[in-house]
Amino acid sequence: MNVQEYIESGIIESYVMGLASEPERAEFERLCVLNPALLAARKKFEERLEGYASENAVIPPPEVKVKVLEAIGKPASRAETLSIPPKIVTMSNEKGTAGAPFTLRLIAAASIILFLATGFLYYQTKQENKDLVDTNDRLKTSLDTTKNVLDRIVKEQADVVSNPNVTVVNMVGTTVAPKSSANIYWDSASSNVYLVVKNMPKLANDKQYQLWALIDKEKVDLGVFDATDEKVILKMKNTKKAQAFAITIEKKGGSSSPTLDSLQSVGKTSQSQ
Amino acid sequence: MRALKERNEQAFGFLYDNYAGALYSIIKQIITDNSELASDVLQEVFINIWRKIETYDSTKGRLFTWMLNIARNASIDMLRSKSYQNSQKNQELPDNVYKGVANQTILQNVDNIGLKKVLEKLKPEHRVLVELAYFKGFTHEEIAEMLAIPLGTVKTRIRNALIQLREYLK
Repeated sequence: MNVQEYIESGIIESYVMGLASEPERAEFERLCVLNPALLAARKKFEERLEGYASENAVIPPPEVKVKVLEAIGKPASRAETLSIPPKIVTMSNEKGTAGAPFTLRLIAAASIILFLATGFLYYQTKQENKDLVDTNDRLKTSLDTTKNVLDRIVKEQADVVSNPNVTVVNMVGTTVAPKSSANIYWDSASSNVYLVVKNMPKLANDKQYQLWALIDKEKVDLGVFDATDEKVILKMKNTKKAQAFAITIEKKGGSSSPTLDSLQSVGKTSQSQ
Repeated sequence: MRALKERNEQAFGFLYDNYAGALYSIIKQIITDNSELASDVLQEVFINIWRKIETYDSTKGRLFTWMLNIARNASIDMLRSKSYQNSQKNQELPDNVYKGVANQTILQNVDNIGLKKVLEKLKPEHRVLVELAYFKGFTHEEIAEMLAIPLGTVKTRIRNALIQLREYLK
């Protein structure tokens, strides 16, 4: 047989690529042993094919290697079957990591880092959650307290306004402060005096408004208040008698006698006649 | 090689790193439409390489040739498996299987990788035969039947196509 003709027949490619029939394969293998030129030609084509395949390699998904290494680390229970191993990713055991290649160790290290990071995040989240719960509790307590106070104020306000013994004294502005106005609720039975600021100009920080009662020509101090106390009912000092009420601007904390040229508003009572 | 036959896992890791890409390429040329199944096959191929490494006979061919044929056979087995057939949406009726495959073969030449790129350079009548024989795993007899060509012609054309292929693998 002419070896060159045999080589040119395509048998090498057919054999190497797995397309030759059984008799062809047997013959080719037999001839290879006998014929160095044929063997060399086979090896040359194999090298070419391998070179070409390597140049055209497609990078497989990285998890395949992990699964393969994991599978071969275990005894071959399904050794000769062609079935696809189930896709179960388990953590590698000691045996696997001891002599494991770099990638597997890297993955193991990454898993540990991930585990620690998860643990830390869990702890942090838990801590944050605890803080939020605490804050929430504090806010709730604060809200309850505020609500109680507000309820008391509303109740007090309602009591004052609806009480038949209470007289309302309308305080009107003087020429110095024409827009200043406030209401006095005066309970003649209990002699309680309440003040509601309707519109009082804001004062300097070292000044305060002071309420006075005019009792038989005497000016009696009923307490100080601020313009910012607007729309809130203020409990002032009690008085049994009063012909009029007056509001002046005084130094912070109040004065013992009113500065009359700063008289802001005046309201007469029914006792003034 | 001895390290591999002694089942050294580290040597096997190197083997994987060196050849997985080339084998994955051939698998994807056969299982063209399902990357997940292709990587399942790659996994199975390497597990089989590991288990059968002692049956490799270096007098009959290079290690890569041996692995390439394992990869090709496993891919074709997958192509013919029930699970793969079920995953295909358009199932041909049995009578039309051959025609269906032949048509599919020609249509699929659009975006080829690896060896299939080389096939592009072949004459169409040669290309179809190599496709069916190498990438679909049909025997020469089956190809002769499905394409209604005499068996001798099929064999000659495939041989000729392979010789041309060799010329392109440079």
